[in-house]
Amino acid sequence: MEDRIVRFIAALRASGVRVSVAESQDAWQAVEQLGITDRDTFRLSLRTTLVKDADSIPTFEELFPKYFGTFTPPLIDPQAELSPEQQQMLQELLQEMLDQLANDLQQLLEWLLSGRNPTQEELEAMAEQVGLDQIDPRSPYQARRAARRMQNLLNWEQLEELLDQLWEMLAERGMDPETIEQLKQQVAGNEERLQQQLNQFAGQRLEDNRVDEAQKHKPLQDLMNRPFNSLSASEMDLLREQVRRLAARLRTRAALRQKRGKQGKLDPKATIRANLRYSGVPFEMRFKQRRLKPKLVVILDVSTSMRPVAEFFLRMLYELQDQVQKTRSFAFIDHLEDVTPDLTGSHIDEAVYVVLTKLPAGYYNTDLGFSLHQFEDNFLDTVDHRTTMIVLGDGRNNYNDPALDVFNRLSRRSRKLIWMNPEYPAQWGTGDSDMLVYAPLCSELYQVRNLAQLADAIDHILM
Amino acid sequence: MFETVEQVGQGLAQQRYIASAEISTVLYLAEKLGKPLLAEGPAGVGKTELSKAWAAATERELVRLQCYEGLDESKALYEWEYAKQMLYTQLLRDKLSTLLADVGSLTQAADRLASEEDVFFSERFLLPRPLLRAINSDRPTVLLIDEIDRADAEFEAFLLEVLSDFQVSIPEIGTIVAKQHPVVFLTSNNTRELSEALKRRCLYLYIDYPNTEEELRIVQLKVPELSPRLARQAVEVVQSLRQVDLKKKPSVSETLDWARALVTLNAKSLDPDVLENTLTVLLKYEADVERARRMLRRQGATSKN
Repeated sequence: MEDRIVRFIAALRASGVRVSVAESQDAWQAVEQLGITDRDTFRLSLRTTLVKDADSIPTFEELFPKYFGTFTPPLIDPQAELSPEQQQMLQELLQEMLDQLANDLQQLLEWLLSGRNPTQEELEAMAEQVGLDQIDPRSPYQARRAARRMQNLLNWEQLEELLDQLWEMLAERGMDPETIEQLKQQVAGNEERLQQQLNQFAGQRLEDNRVDEAQKHKPLQDLMNRPFNSLSASEMDLLREQVRRLAARLRTRAALRQKRGKQGKLDPKATIRANLRYSGVPFEMRFKQRRLKPKLVVILDVSTSMRPVAEFFLRMLYELQDQVQKTRSFAFIDHLEDVTPDLTGSHIDEAVYVVLTKLPAGYYNTDLGFSLHQFEDNFLDTVDHRTTMIVLGDGRNNYNDPALDVFNRLSRRSRKLIWMNPEYPAQWGTGDSDMLVYAPLCSELYQVRNLAQLADAIDHILM
Repeated sequence: MFETVEQVGQGLAQQRYIASAEISTVLYLAEKLGKPLLAEGPAGVGKTELSKAWAAATERELVRLQCYEGLDESKALYEWEYAKQMLYTQLLRDKLSTLLADVGSLTQAADRLASEEDVFFSERFLLPRPLLRAINSDRPTVLLIDEIDRADAEFEAFLLEVLSDFQVSIPEIGTIVAKQHPVVFLTSNNTRELSEALKRRCLYLYIDYPNTEEELRIVQLKVPELSPRLARQAVEVVQSLRQVDLKKKPSVSETLDWARALVTLNAKSLDPDVLENTLTVLLKYEADVERARRMLRRQGATSKN
């Protein structure tokens, strides 16, 4: 049992669940407290001590039955209830039959009729013969197939015929039908149990191999570091969840920063004023409060080249607008649209959909220059010395006028102008990319290809 | 006092808390191993309620620390009562001057004052906050640290220190060691990842939304006035709403509020009017309400056909 628990913990680790030594110690203590007799209680005591993350619970639930599978009952001895003479008879018969049989079938009959469980060595030997270790342990259903191969190895398919022969011969020798019927049933039960044992053995063996394998190869690149546009639909869902958490983290960070901002210096004037009623004895302190009112203006490129990542940026914007009160969001392709109202109020999926339909993607029509002019003409009042401007785009301007003068003015006017670009720096400035001419005018530049980078960039902005 | 897992479940049932086998097992272990219990899950599934029920079942005092952004030591552990100290010095001014009347030099006066300064930094002027209260209590306590995910990471680190040895050192007074180890509950709505170190020290319990039968039992226990038929209908509506992608899913506590609202309005059945009027008890965002209305109308249409 101990061995199984240790292997189980190793399997959890191999599947990406973080289990520390202290936690496995807790698991032991918990098992000591509650015992292993009740399978469900045992499962819960392991789960509460080993798994500390709701996301890992499915992994645990998947692995648990493989290690502490449904309890496989040992074979029973069908001869136990026979009288000595009957036993004698059966033994003799069996001996006769066995002499004529192939080796494997002998073994099978012996197990079933004597109730002796296959030993670990015997199982190992069979495993080797069917090449259990060569099977790819990662694909499902392999365990069952391997178990069937082991059955074939024992010539299971000839078993029924043989048993029928046996029952007939017993009847001929004058054993009463009731006893034979009883024997039949017990042997049938044994067959089932043996099958279960084989299944379980193969399943565990493959699982062990999988763990060993996994310890050799590190798991694939984690989600946070995958580019936005190479994700499958289910990964997208996971990533959306990550975006939500990221936004929550941003909020605590922002709050912490504001809290620090509040711990200002002593404000003597206000303190004296407040304590006049105590005849000037300073009971109540007053502090200078620095109020941080971050303002954010985000300009997002939703053109064809940016479509795959635009959705995530939009989601991020949606969350940001929830967190930072004064956020104005703009989206552009060939012209600029104020999307702030679309991102407040309605549900996130709708909001993203509305924005993306408002600006249908066309062919080679991106025009940041024109959009910047439009911004300066219509929305310049949104930018002042407290405003952080963020441009999310690849800077591919379709050989249009980059409007550097406007960009420069905006850069000077705002507190900070930050550019986030999903392309690799090596691609900047190639083809129609104007990134390199914009770059010197930005206060900060980030390559944002995946969530990890996005998180980093936003952390930096808030610092 | 609770020797088996079943007794734990019964103890909670007496406090009108319906605990699953999982909850009782984990609580039992937390009690036996003396470890903090970290309960996670969506908002409003009864995490806080569980700790209250447990405190009542074990006849312990419940000390609650509500976490929020910017919570710091002075709000969680202790604070010197500055105003009180000030007031005392003012009131005792005469006494001080008589005390210092016969000294010759400034140094002597300072020395004499120094010998008395302990008066002003004693437990008299200490304002204990929840953590210190739980540690310093003579009676056994249940310490509930609510919504730990809202507090900053710094506070989490500080908490680790307190939870690991249950002692607090106050520079002016010395170390205060817990007279008894409080049972610690932490709850989290999982809005941010807690630190590995904190998780490692806790037993973990994930409480999810209950299934239809469990929720029905809860509703019938807490709002017995509601007719069983209506209760089942209401629970089914809530369960189906949870399947929809909403900004905020209705929680168990909101189901209960809704059930109470239905009783108050003397509703006989869940017809469209009643639904229309009471849906805002369940859902707290306009967009969600809109979405739910559309869904329920669709369902109503199909069920009539």
